[in-house]
Amino acid sequence: MTSMFRAELLKLRRRRVAIAVAVSALAFAAIAAAAVFLSATDAGGLEREATIESLGQAGGATEAFSIGASFAGILVLVLFIANVGGELSQGTFRTLLMRQPRRVGLLAGKMTALLAFAAVVLALAEILTVAASTAIAPSQGVSTASWFGADGLGAAAGDYATAVLGIAAWASLGMALAVFVRSIPIALGIGIVWSGPFEHLLQDAWTAANQWFPGLLLEALAAGGTAEVSSTRALALVALYVTAAVSAAAIVFARRDITA
Amino acid sequence: MTTATASGGDRMTAPAAPARPPAVSLRGLSKRYGARAAVESLTIDVPAGVVAGFVGPNGAGKTTTMAMLLGLVTPTAGTGTVLGGPLGDPASYVGRLGALIEGPAFYPGLTGAQNLAVLATAGGHDPARIPGLLELVGLGARADDRFRGYSFGMKQRLGIAAALLGDPKLLILDEPINGLDPAGVHEMRGLIGRLAGGERTVLVSSHVLAELEQVCDWLIVIDGGRLVFQGPAAELLDGAGANLVVAPEHPDDLDRLRGLVAAAGHDSRTSDDHLEVAVKGDDARGLAAALNRAAGTGGIVLAELRLARTSLEDRYLTMMNGADR
Repeated sequence: MTSMFRAELLKLRRRRVAIAVAVSALAFAAIAAAAVFLSATDAGGLEREATIESLGQAGGATEAFSIGASFAGILVLVLFIANVGGELSQGTFRTLLMRQPRRVGLLAGKMTALLAFAAVVLALAEILTVAASTAIAPSQGVSTASWFGADGLGAAAGDYATAVLGIAAWASLGMALAVFVRSIPIALGIGIVWSGPFEHLLQDAWTAANQWFPGLLLEALAAGGTAEVSSTRALALVALYVTAAVSAAAIVFARRDITA
Repeated sequence: MTTATASGGDRMTAPAAPARPPAVSLRGLSKRYGARAAVESLTIDVPAGVVAGFVGPNGAGKTTTMAMLLGLVTPTAGTGTVLGGPLGDPASYVGRLGALIEGPAFYPGLTGAQNLAVLATAGGHDPARIPGLLELVGLGARADDRFRGYSFGMKQRLGIAAALLGDPKLLILDEPINGLDPAGVHEMRGLIGRLAGGERTVLVSSHVLAELEQVCDWLIVIDGGRLVFQGPAAELLDGAGANLVVAPEHPDDLDRLRGLVAAAGHDSRTSDDHLEVAVKGDDARGLAAALNRAAGTGGIVLAELRLARTSLEDRYLTMMNGADR
């Protein structure tokens, strides 16, 4: 597992990747901060819409990051399906297994490296979003006085942990789907349709959907809990789904013939 | 087990058993996909230190067998060892072998050198070997080019460099010549020749025996997932024998010439204006001299007297057509 972790990091520690990550994080920070601060009103409106007052509180510095990260779930799902599915369909897993035949270790090493990399990217995105928020806040009449105290740092750490957990969950579900299906287009179709329209349509027809469906639970987790689902329940059920999906994927990957 | 075997009871005796244990030893190996048998009760040995050609038509089960050796595909039945490690535990031997199977698969956005670095790290091999390996396969000047820009031949050669990362005792190459242009074929044959020898065993597959004829000293022939022949390549050729072609200057003398051949104790086949006499081994030179002498004594002028050796490919095709079964 350790050798595969280091091997995967080699692929990520390249100038092109670094530039792409820096540009993406910068764009994320600018767009998230602009969208949140420019749309903030005195009263608020939508469920996660920030108000001038809430942005001026201790967690205001990372509010834009937190809201922005909650929308990144589907993107992460897509990226991990494409990454793992690509390894399976293009034969690079086969090439790797001829050097490192312990399959579960290979999959675990790769996922750990990708998640570690994602955690670094999230940290960068959070720092840049705080910088962008600090730049925009005065123009919107938002006070930053409470942002950089102990409470502010605590809120930032909490938002970061929530984002990392959410991303790790989406990534694990994407990986598992790619392993089960082995086809990028089919896995993408299933993943996007399920977590997008399917869950949300059912949410309208069946109120309990919020408490059970993984995509909706992940949304509740990113929001720090909702009126229908507490963050504790969301975290527990997401952990259960992720554990089941990762375990099943590991078993399937370990036993299935590698023919591509 | 060193008995060269052709199916259908045509058994040939191979030289004395090698002192070292075989690099690959399979017993009754089978792989079924539903009702279809990709490999059926395959029992083979690859002696250590040889260049073994693994030959059979497309769909014969070569790639599936190699995939089972590498732990990529789980056998339905059978046992075996690879470099002394049990087939069911590829982790015990994969680090000592290198393989290129089902074509080269690498990360298109990484350079050749970066791809090898990823594999070396994953396998725990010394990355310091990478520049030398790239030179060995003729990619030294293109090491920093992206894989997606490589020609097919270059991709194949990078695949061989990857297989050599761990300085393997056993090298498994699946159709490395397939799809290469004539110059590439020549180059690849030379490379395989250079990689062989010493402690290293090479198992190389092809559906065209002629591609391997020049580099292999051991042959395994399979068809329909079953073993057709295994043994020294020379033995397959010896089994093929040769034809003595005898042509009189005047076609009218053909019947008298046939009589001389019969008198020498051989059957002949008339083909156009000449006779073909099946001969084996050392018989050929003696028979040619005897026929030449008898024809001269009988007043027959020979326009042609030559030995036409059956090629390995002819022998292989005969086997594939079922003549030896």
